[in-house]
Amino acid sequence: MKIDKILVSVFQRRFKSITEEMSIVLTRTTRSPILCEAKDFVTGLYDAKGKMLEQTENLPILSFSLGPVCEYIVDYFGEEIYPGDVIFHNDVFSMGNQNNDVAVYKPIFYKDKLVAWAAAKGHQADIGGAVAGGYNPRATEVWQEALRIPPVKVYEKGKLRKDVWDLIFANIRFDIVAADMRAQIGSCVVGERGILTLVEKYGIDVFESHKQYLFDSTEKMMRSEIKTIPNGVYRGEASVYYDGRTPGSKYKIRVKITVEDEHITFDYSDTDPQTPGFVNGTYTSSASATLLTFLQMVNPDIPHNDGMVRPVKIIIPEGTILNAKYPAATTFGNHLCPPNADAVMRALSRAIPKRITAGWNQLLCYLTTGFDLRKKDNYVDIGFIGLKGGSGGTDGVDGYDHIGMIDASGGVLDQDYEMFEQQTPHLLLKHEYWKDSAGAGQWRGGLGVETEFKIGGDKTKVVTFGDGDVEPAFGLFGGKDSTLNKIELRYPDGKVYTATTKDLVEAVPEGTVLFQQAGGGGGYGHPHLRNAEKVALEVRNGIIGIDRAKELYGVVVDPENFTVNINKTKQLRSNEPTK
Amino acid sequence: MEYKIGIDVGGTFTDFLLTSEDGPSEVYKVLSTPDDPAVGLLNGLSEMAQAKQLSLNEFIDKVTAIVHGTTVTTNAVLTRKGAKTGLLTTKGLRDALEMRRGIREKQYDNRYTNVEPLVPRYLRYPVEERLDYKGETVVDLKEQDVLDAVELFREEDVRAIAVCFMNSFANPAHEARAAEIIKEKLPDAYLTVSAGFLPSIRFYDRISTTVLNSYVGPKLKSYLVSLVKKLEDIGFKGILLIMQSNGGVISPRFAMENAAVTLLSGPAAGPVAGIEYTSIHGYNNCITVDMGGTSFDAALIKNRTPLTTTEGEIERLRIALPMLGIVTIGAGGGSIGWVDEGGLLRMGPQSAGSKPGPACYGLGGRLPTCTDADLILGYLDKDFFAGGKIPLDYDGAVTAVKENIAGKLNMDVVEAAAGMYRVINVNMAAGVREVSVKRGEDPREFPLVVAGGAGPVHACMIARELEIPVMIVPKESSIFCAAGMLMSDLKHNFVRTYTAPLNKIDKDKFIAMFDEMEKEASALLREEHIPENAFRFVYSLDMRYLKQYHELNVAITKEEIKKGDIDSIAAKFHPEHSRLYGYSLEEQGTPIELINIRLLSIGETVKPRFIEEDYDGEDPSGAFKKKRNAWLPLERRFEEVPVYDGAAIRYGNKVEGPAIIEQVNTTTFVTPEYSVLCDKYGSYTMYLKTKENEIKGKLL
Repeated sequence: MKIDKILVSVFQRRFKSITEEMSIVLTRTTRSPILCEAKDFVTGLYDAKGKMLEQTENLPILSFSLGPVCEYIVDYFGEEIYPGDVIFHNDVFSMGNQNNDVAVYKPIFYKDKLVAWAAAKGHQADIGGAVAGGYNPRATEVWQEALRIPPVKVYEKGKLRKDVWDLIFANIRFDIVAADMRAQIGSCVVGERGILTLVEKYGIDVFESHKQYLFDSTEKMMRSEIKTIPNGVYRGEASVYYDGRTPGSKYKIRVKITVEDEHITFDYSDTDPQTPGFVNGTYTSSASATLLTFLQMVNPDIPHNDGMVRPVKIIIPEGTILNAKYPAATTFGNHLCPPNADAVMRALSRAIPKRITAGWNQLLCYLTTGFDLRKKDNYVDIGFIGLKGGSGGTDGVDGYDHIGMIDASGGVLDQDYEMFEQQTPHLLLKHEYWKDSAGAGQWRGGLGVETEFKIGGDKTKVVTFGDGDVEPAFGLFGGKDSTLNKIELRYPDGKVYTATTKDLVEAVPEGTVLFQQAGGGGGYGHPHLRNAEKVALEVRNGIIGIDRAKELYGVVVDPENFTVNINKTKQLRSNEPTK
Repeated sequence: MEYKIGIDVGGTFTDFLLTSEDGPSEVYKVLSTPDDPAVGLLNGLSEMAQAKQLSLNEFIDKVTAIVHGTTVTTNAVLTRKGAKTGLLTTKGLRDALEMRRGIREKQYDNRYTNVEPLVPRYLRYPVEERLDYKGETVVDLKEQDVLDAVELFREEDVRAIAVCFMNSFANPAHEARAAEIIKEKLPDAYLTVSAGFLPSIRFYDRISTTVLNSYVGPKLKSYLVSLVKKLEDIGFKGILLIMQSNGGVISPRFAMENAAVTLLSGPAAGPVAGIEYTSIHGYNNCITVDMGGTSFDAALIKNRTPLTTTEGEIERLRIALPMLGIVTIGAGGGSIGWVDEGGLLRMGPQSAGSKPGPACYGLGGRLPTCTDADLILGYLDKDFFAGGKIPLDYDGAVTAVKENIAGKLNMDVVEAAAGMYRVINVNMAAGVREVSVKRGEDPREFPLVVAGGAGPVHACMIARELEIPVMIVPKESSIFCAAGMLMSDLKHNFVRTYTAPLNKIDKDKFIAMFDEMEKEASALLREEHIPENAFRFVYSLDMRYLKQYHELNVAITKEEIKKGDIDSIAAKFHPEHSRLYGYSLEEQGTPIELINIRLLSIGETVKPRFIEEDYDGEDPSGAFKKKRNAWLPLERRFEEVPVYDGAAIRYGNKVEGPAIIEQVNTTTFVTPEYSVLCDKYGSYTMYLKTKENEIKGKLL
């Protein structure tokens, strides 16, 4: 069939806008703040075989498991896929990325022929298991974490399977989860409508051939991007601290990146074995982490479809911390993304120094659950407000302040403060940039954030998950490291408890203050090379201390009028080599 | 003879529509004067006076109303030339304005930086005070903090101040007291207080909108003060009205104090015009598109009401004021074509603007633009662009397309130009989908109103992409927004937050809140000289299912408010949710939660009349100019098509596609599938030939 190249562009645009429409349904109608406020979800379209057509990736770490699961589902049901089916899936041992990230798949039929799939995956407020919200640092097996949902039809041929539906939601704590899953089904209906309009208009043959051409042209784009990286073997590593069970435990992620003309391979074979607890990745969560990090080093305009991933090979042996064996606990797996990204950045810093960033702040997050006495109802709240540290600086650009984990790269939002106080019984006392938290550098790291709120309500539990309290985000090429993460509970009786990075604290009394520091990003290039005027302005803005400006940046600022003392600055800066 | 004038100040041209009681309306265009837009505006008035052979004083004496759309505030934000602004906010929450809830819009781009905040951190002053979620005091206002802030602002020569405290939507007391102190100490500063300006929940939305108002306020105020004076000086005694982002107009005094309501006023008159041009043919719904040099604006109108949103943005900064839901994409005559690394053809969003402009302008532009493609394809006449004022360089266009597109794609120049034409049409169609399909509307059910200089060249193919059967090209297509301004009513939006389950609301409080807003609204309209019989009020509620996070705005009636008729209100909410999102939770018995109550007050203005022409019969040959080769995009070949002089086309004339109709500022390309019928007001209706009988029934 003759390819109409222009029509290929039309298809690409259309796929993208359909996935965006699907996202709007979720934003507007879901109930859990994790979904509607923080947008912890992904919507996508896949071809009949499960190959990615396009996605809208609010939280990229969820994204690159949707395609593999779709392929798994196609294989699993074989001939028994019918128009009107709706399939749920979260199982991490069949390509799912995290137990809480539950996906809805809807096959799209045109004249009795399966032509594509619509899917929506979101982080559910609860997914059963031992602890509300799903993060259970004491878990050693998947069943202590969650209800496993291997592919299961909740609708078949358009008919609700009430028994299956009830079975699933009988095992989940909050009723909002059922409502949110309904919204995800709605989102897939919207995706189905979009694809059908397209196929009806152009016919199935044109759809197939042009889709194939789109894949090929995207692959070509990706190949030409890889070609700009010098051939070679590059190694990087990063540490994961504390497995939630043995204090002081430490694991290494090791990556060997091989660039060969138009192909790139990420090989994690030397990575440490899996942990006994829940600090374990799944193949798809880890491969997503690799891919989303790599995508930040290539042209951001490459369409996201199967062609994009073809020249990229990712090897993660089973049994490693990045790909744990059945029936391991793995809820923490998404959060191995930050150290994974560090390993990749470090490795490629030698190959493409201008395209990588210094270290990003590692995620450290809290989650509160409890009983809201005002509403006489349970609540769960993930602390998106507090977790947003800074990103690393890069050549020519400072890190992004208060952006949060690299897994989301700024796609996840803080709760609005006033909505936070309506939806939880807490009182927000502080949420501000953390002075001196950024790694110093010619291009400084992004600023971290300090958050403080007074806990209200009853039966409060605080769960923490994350890392970054041992090793700060790293600086590069003379840039400095940043600051550490911390979560502290200040009890009404004056006692202070510093949470570990994988903690479950029960019976937290009303009036306790939760204090969190999310660190900054690493600096890039020697701080003495930073524009002195910029430093003076940041002193004036209260984000760099005047002493630190002098110590780290070699800039002497007048405390009265915040001007640079040029002579003294020159003198200080000439004392130290900057390369 | 009495005149009314609509004035739209754009980036390149200032457009005027002059209307009178009995004569036909007239179009004027002068060059804009960005340094002081009032200069261009007065130049235009002088030109009109001259055309009428009157002195400026004599002319202006006959002008009863001027409606003015201004980009002063928009430009202040785009160029960061607003006032030096200080912010008072709750201690501990100093950075909310700059953080923007932590979003980075381009997730994979590590070179993408945050937006520079409108108030730098050292001018964001934390004040000790705190209210809880219900508005009850947790920490008293520390007045010394306010005094210290004022002192800092005085030293720093701050000209505008914004006050936004946590939870003030529920209790304005702390903000009000702080405002008192500021007014006493710095009476000349431009002050915006969040609970007065936008008393609704969501802290970031409120603080961002409040700051925007202060930031652009002084600029707009001084512009309007000077404009009013200049108009008074030449003897203007009529009414001056200012266009807002919500599609309504307001008095200059209100605009000065609420400057942010004009932030996206540029394209806001378009939908209003669309309603008028389609409703005369009996349509209640339409989609308007306006394709200019760099951007393409699309809007959807249903039941004669343009879609409104409170989730707008300007330069990635949130504006939570009601504004028309206009989608703007980077597609216009100046959009540049390019080939990406994967070998796909793309158009825009980069634009050659007016300098250096498209390659065919011969002003130094070397990159191929949409206008270059339109010229190569024969839609534009190199000797009749802008009525012949701008001669076009055909060879320049060919070279640009050859070097940048055709060569890279291994195509000939025409094929490449046809590809460019097609891709940009698809992009614009995507813009139309965004206002229609994305919101659950089927674009095929809406006539497409096509405006802007470049719009009618592309209209048929945009319509075809979306299967839209009917298009309307207004007579005043090229100055569409100026026309819309004269058709706009006065509009004021009011909002109060009242969070409660719908079935548990305190009916007295509910009624009292509406009454209070209505009183405020009436006072304003009276002040704007609107007679009581021209007042109209639209009541609505923002509601959601219990535990949802985002609200749905549902219109309600005065009767429902008076009776506190919860059941009737709920019965409106469920189907609306289902229509928009594909499901409702009525069966599950899920309770509905009230969040905001809203009032839109409208003061109806007297609209210009459309002048009717006499029927001239079907035959358009009186307007025939010549024949010219033009590319037929579906047939994929050139064909000689008739070219008509738009100025000579009369009521009833029918032009069958393929054809081209040239007006001074617009060219309409009619593909073979469509025909054009000129209506009695001089506008063109384009329709699929299969629809001819239906259209004739409507128009003749």
